[in-house]
Amino acid sequence: MQKVIDVCTRVEGHGNVKIFIQNDEISNVEFEILAFRGFENILIGKKLSDVPKIVSRICGLCHASQTIVSCKSIEEIYNIKANQQSVLVRRLLMAGELLKSHSMHYFFQSFPDLLNIFNIYTKPIDIYELIKYNPQLTSHIYDIIKIGDYIDKIFGGRSIHAITPIPGGVIYRPSQKRIIIVEKYLLRVLSNLEWIIKNFVDLFSKFNPPEDFIIPNVNFLSLNNNKSYDRYDGSLTIKKGLTEEQDFRLEEYIDYFDKDLTIRGIDFTDKNHNYLVGPISRNQVVESYGSDEISGYLSLFDEKWRNNILYASFLKLIEMYVESQKSLKILEDPILKSTIPLPNLKSIISREGIGVVEAPRGLLIHHYRINKRNVLKEAKLFIATEINIPLINDMISNYARKLYEKKDLNKVKKEIQKIIRAFDPCISCATH
Amino acid sequence: MKLKILIASLTSCSGCISKLISSDIFPQFLERIKLSYFPFISDENKIEECDIALIEGCISMDSQIELLKDIRNNAKKVYALGTCAAFGGILSLSKKKKAGAISDIVQIDGIIPGCPPPLKLIGNCLIRLIDNKEIELSEKNLCSSCPLRGNNNIHFEKTIYKLNPSNDEIATLDENSNCFLNNGILCLGPITREGCDHICIEHGIPCEGCLGPVSKDYTSNLINFLSLINLSKDLTKYKGIFYRFSKPKIRR
Repeated sequence: MQKVIDVCTRVEGHGNVKIFIQNDEISNVEFEILAFRGFENILIGKKLSDVPKIVSRICGLCHASQTIVSCKSIEEIYNIKANQQSVLVRRLLMAGELLKSHSMHYFFQSFPDLLNIFNIYTKPIDIYELIKYNPQLTSHIYDIIKIGDYIDKIFGGRSIHAITPIPGGVIYRPSQKRIIIVEKYLLRVLSNLEWIIKNFVDLFSKFNPPEDFIIPNVNFLSLNNNKSYDRYDGSLTIKKGLTEEQDFRLEEYIDYFDKDLTIRGIDFTDKNHNYLVGPISRNQVVESYGSDEISGYLSLFDEKWRNNILYASFLKLIEMYVESQKSLKILEDPILKSTIPLPNLKSIISREGIGVVEAPRGLLIHHYRINKRNVLKEAKLFIATEINIPLINDMISNYARKLYEKKDLNKVKKEIQKIIRAFDPCISCATH
Repeated sequence: MKLKILIASLTSCSGCISKLISSDIFPQFLERIKLSYFPFISDENKIEECDIALIEGCISMDSQIELLKDIRNNAKKVYALGTCAAFGGILSLSKKKKAGAISDIVQIDGIIPGCPPPLKLIGNCLIRLIDNKEIELSEKNLCSSCPLRGNNNIHFEKTIYKLNPSNDEIATLDENSNCFLNNGILCLGPITREGCDHICIEHGIPCEGCLGPVSKDYTSNLINFLSLINLSKDLTKYKGIFYRFSKPKIRR
């Protein structure tokens, strides 16, 4: 058997595609991630107050989600809940993170592929051509990236690896002046997004997305709050096919999936289906995004788009819009400015704690166990990209086999990466 | 002629790259240079001759050693971007993994420290690089400009018994508060380079050393500090407390 390896470009982190060829046919393709880092191991023996800061370093794109889910898990151990003011700041931090992560992925990773896939631009686009392709798009995107960064800098103390979220709450209360600045910025994000969404619709909605990017029969998994869009609070839902749904509480996750810390990957009880997390699963599971404006946008895309991984790019724009609107509401809430003392962490109630959030790329669960000295004994981290990898591998293998009928291996290497990029894999996270 | 710049990631969280892209100066930086390699946003995947290489992330795999040497051979100057590349970073705390700074493998021309480097520092460094000037870093420690320094002297004889202040202590901290070390809370200000605008201190949190040591060598810094402070038994046993995001390298 022949093995061909190619390095993936325009993805977060280091990934390869590994193509296996036998009897002049592609037997299999794997999306391979190498630099396994062992955070679950680094965490052993750590004091609880140190854990959120360490896990933040799993990912420089979804650092706020990692820090916040860690704080939530530790709060379970102390049996306390973050106060309302802290929850509002955490939601703003997650929104800032989403703005930055989604807009970077959309522009640098998805958009050039979409132009190629729909033959709007037939040559590969380098970064300089991309920046000049539509200067207005470029400036709107840069603006959103910077505003997302600014929001996390203000509410997190630092824009990456925030210092304000701690077990028990958040140590930041914004002044009225800051609130007014962020409000002004978010209104600008909304107007930029209206332009970008219209641009997406004008460019792509008239096409049928290619069938090679159709998501095969999978289980969609997402956090939701009574079927409303919520990335901070709620319960979990697995949606199988179009109708069958299973709702369960976070504490019951082990009935559906678990992981063996000596092996990479996540072990699902239902072995007959791949699982998908991220914007498409959130879209499949939630019935309401809590925004009237977006229903018009969503209705422009039919079923052909909704089951296609390329739809994730559009949903990212929608999620940025929804979260900007929600953030503006949070800024109006007087509780955001209120001083509520945080609980001191004295008595440990439970020997374990589980926390969940939806990171920009999907479900994120941390499960900690502590020993007699109250330091971490075991940490299980369930991370979005790790969940998506088996599905990515199935889809790229199928596509590669079909493409290779013309025996052009370079084309295979180039084209299957478009599927990988459409998933927006976070390799840093997956190599935790 | 525009400067040719290569930006590569080794084992990292991509936070430094993300910081770089979101900095105000990035669009202008892109215009003024020629990006020869930056897989995060570009399909170009060959290492070619370039003027400046910025490397993010630590070395944790053999294949990265080859890549790094290849980059060194092709770049006139090599800089470590962020704490992982400069000092080994968080992964060097792992008992099972070997992780090191890029300077363990190749000679480098400078570092842009921080986890991630502060925006102002990245901005200033990029401007200097475009102008083909060396990066300048402060040679002072964090205490030299600490807002809690005030008029009080550090009483090093006090026993340090805590890594983190309690939530009450965080909430009541203001400019008149005592130095963390005087309150028995470990602050790494004395052995950490300044340049972060004391963001953590201003939020009521002691310095955790993410900008790394002032001098190139940890040894003198750390041994001096250890000889001055009195750590509680609990903390003496606890791993990874100095430069919380990198393991200090003690040269023997």
